[in-house]
Amino acid sequence: MVPPSHPHGLTRFHVRECPIHDLLLIKYRGIMSVFFQSMISGILIGGVYALIGIGLTIIFGVMRIINFAHGDLLMIGMYMTYFLFALFHIDPFVSIIVTIPLMFLFGAFLQKVFINRVLGALPQNQILLTIGMGLVMSNAIMLAFTSDYKILSTTYSSASFNIFGISISSPLLISFAITIAITVALYWFLYRTDTGQAVRATAQDREAAQLMGINVKRMSIIAFGLGASLAGTAGALISPTYYIFPQVGSVFTLKAFVITVLGGMGSIVGATLGGVIIGIAESVGGVYFGSGWKDVIVFILFLLVLLFKPSGLLGTSKD
Amino acid sequence: MRSFMHNMRGMSTLPVLLTVVAVVALFLIPNFVESTYALHIMILIFISVIMGLGWNILGGYTGQYSVGHAAYFGVGAYTTIILMQYRHIAPWYGVWAGIVVAVAIGLIIGSICFRLRGPYFVLASIAVAEIFRVTALNLKNLTNGAEGILITDIPPFKIGDVVITDFMSKVPFYYIGLVTLIIAIIVTWLLQNSKLGYYFQAIREDQDAAHSLGINLTFYKNVALSFSVVFTSLAGSIYGLYVGFIDPSTVLALDLSVQIVMICIIGGIGTIFGPVIGAVVLVPFSEALRSNMIAQAVIDSGLVNENSGFGFFLKEQLSHAHVLVYGILLVVVILYMPDGILGFIRKKLLAKRRKEAI
Amino acid sequence: MAILEIKHVSKFFGGLSANSDVSFEMVPGMVMGLIGPNGAGKTTLFNCITGYYPPSRGEILFDGHRMNGLHPDAVCKLGMARTWQKVRPLAKMSVVDNVMVGALCRTNSLKKARVVAMEKIHVVGLENRVNFLAGSLPIGERKKLEVARVLATLPKLLLLDEVMGGLNPAESEEIIQLILDIKNLGITQMVIEHDMKAIMRISDRIVVLNSGEKLAEGNPQEIVSNKAVVDAYLGGE
Repeated sequence: MVPPSHPHGLTRFHVRECPIHDLLLIKYRGIMSVFFQSMISGILIGGVYALIGIGLTIIFGVMRIINFAHGDLLMIGMYMTYFLFALFHIDPFVSIIVTIPLMFLFGAFLQKVFINRVLGALPQNQILLTIGMGLVMSNAIMLAFTSDYKILSTTYSSASFNIFGISISSPLLISFAITIAITVALYWFLYRTDTGQAVRATAQDREAAQLMGINVKRMSIIAFGLGASLAGTAGALISPTYYIFPQVGSVFTLKAFVITVLGGMGSIVGATLGGVIIGIAESVGGVYFGSGWKDVIVFILFLLVLLFKPSGLLGTSKD
Repeated sequence: MRSFMHNMRGMSTLPVLLTVVAVVALFLIPNFVESTYALHIMILIFISVIMGLGWNILGGYTGQYSVGHAAYFGVGAYTTIILMQYRHIAPWYGVWAGIVVAVAIGLIIGSICFRLRGPYFVLASIAVAEIFRVTALNLKNLTNGAEGILITDIPPFKIGDVVITDFMSKVPFYYIGLVTLIIAIIVTWLLQNSKLGYYFQAIREDQDAAHSLGINLTFYKNVALSFSVVFTSLAGSIYGLYVGFIDPSTVLALDLSVQIVMICIIGGIGTIFGPVIGAVVLVPFSEALRSNMIAQAVIDSGLVNENSGFGFFLKEQLSHAHVLVYGILLVVVILYMPDGILGFIRKKLLAKRRKEAI
Repeated sequence: MAILEIKHVSKFFGGLSANSDVSFEMVPGMVMGLIGPNGAGKTTLFNCITGYYPPSRGEILFDGHRMNGLHPDAVCKLGMARTWQKVRPLAKMSVVDNVMVGALCRTNSLKKARVVAMEKIHVVGLENRVNFLAGSLPIGERKKLEVARVLATLPKLLLLDEVMGGLNPAESEEIIQLILDIKNLGITQMVIEHDMKAIMRISDRIVVLNSGEKLAEGNPQEIVSNKAVVDAYLGGE
């Protein structure tokens, strides 16, 4: 499950494991530029993290369910993108046109068939259900495609370009740009359309929304579909720069939780902020503490938030 | 729990008798059964039941669902094995060290995490276990990192000059597992019928109500956690000694934490025999999958041609599918039998009793 | 000597003052009614008294002990117990087990707890339901269960939060009798209630809260003829 340790020197595999801080370690000396470099990289990956977090927070907001299969939805997005590329040669950043609606439908299906049945159950049972679903997804993929690492490499996978002496990974930059576009579209949907506002209303107060005539069942389906779609898209966006394997989801699930708890469960702006903060923390932390420990840093941050400000930066503690 | 006992009261001699017979039978099995594979399965079942009973005290009785219990399993295993392999401290002392370390860690974690409710507690427990796993991966000087620790040999257990066992066969592990299991069951039973048991359940049912009835929540949660950790850590130590090899991805993994929870959920949360049933169902099934027994049986039965694509697929892949089956089982149980097998039976019995009462 | 002294208690939640400079005393054995329109701060006061949160200002003295900042379990051990506006049965445990949890506050022996529990179950009249799961009881019996459970903690002062809420007249009558029975046992009680007739019958004294402040205090006759009280209920919100 652990990617093979990388050789020194900037090889393609080098980019795979830790695209962020390996690039900078090799290319740049100077403490300030190292710091600045890791900040930028952190922000770029933070955008993708934000997508994951927003998806999770919408699901929690509307259904009060903590979706443990979220990272696995991202994994499915990665595999979808990989096969569209390997079989049909569609560029990963182009294929999100297909990935977004397909993942939405998949999410809607999961909600209707499984999640819907436990909306009234104990929260612990809900969590166990989503854990089970995640296990089924990751292991079904493993059974079908083996756990061999797959690599999606495009012509620009290792490319980077220079701005003001700082090297920025091209695929990361493109995915950041797309992330911004998607986030803008998402905000437009949630704040400017009737359906979107209905979703937000349900997230704020399910009962009140119901009293106002909003079909909360439909909102739940939309919410899960949106969440799955965002997670899958995030997977698609990082597929040119990450190893693709069935268990890749679990790390992202935990990170998604840190992001949403940090930003405040149910707060979309919070998840956006949280994603960027975690991206930066991971990137900078990885530089200064070593890549083996960067996950621990994120988890410790998580525990600290849970203990001292469980409602997060912007959350409404409506528990 | 009282109501369950009342159901049983009408036939109270029968279960006791059955249990005694079962225990005697279990003790005699190694004398009659030659197959080391069967012993192997029994040992794994015993370890699983002990893990399950341990979790059950905190999760099933007190309602604090930890999905990070692998942390205690792993700490027990690593402490015992590190002490034995690198310090040559015999494991019958080492397991106690494992318990002490695990309980100390548990109390620290508990005091931090117990103020969290429901899903947030679950998340925190997962984060903690992951911190342990990654730490074990990184502290290579202590734990040998991802390579894990291989046991070279276990010192023979002597009383005076008499060698009781040299741990070369499976039989000593069988008895160690069985005795520990029986102790765990007795302790759980004693807890259930004590003030602690009542308080644990009150906390599970309604924390605030329990608080207002004079129950110090943090204290009693920590007591439950301590009992829970003792058994989980013991299970880890026994597992490590038996299998002879430990690494973070087996004894500290999220998969293991989920398995522990599943053993209790499938059998029936908050009951003494729930984990027993859960382990008896899960362990043989997963071993059968892992060892290709099921694939072979399907082929032998003629349903699938061994040389067909599907047959090939079965033989190659089904052994990796046991986690997939766990996942499917988990989904099915949560959707259709959230109280587990025992809970399902209990509901039927209670419904019958209610009808008779009217 | 006063069993409970509320001295200038205020409770603020952010900018909202839920209780504002409330003061009164209770003597042992009395039944005090605590009334007021919705949102007047009655449950907030209960929560302050029983330790769910400390008052922002003021003092709470129980039998001379300062209670500010004590946790709910310590409050119970000192002899003050409360029931909940929204009943909280320990659903998967039986009736007798529920009450035993209360009784275990005073003893470590399950046997003794059981004896006390059965006694309190008799006091409230739930003998027929001893082995039923608490979660299967109808609301009226759940309320009785809660009272039995709290009686098992052998309190000196009992706080009842809308214990008649949601009950039909027959059930309410049973509760009224229960309160009078408890009074005969010598236990002091503070009762939050909306049922005016019931309050009139059971209370020795009544305190009226409105918008967090104490509006009036007196015996039932005085309160019923107090214009400000009548206005607060009929006028305004």
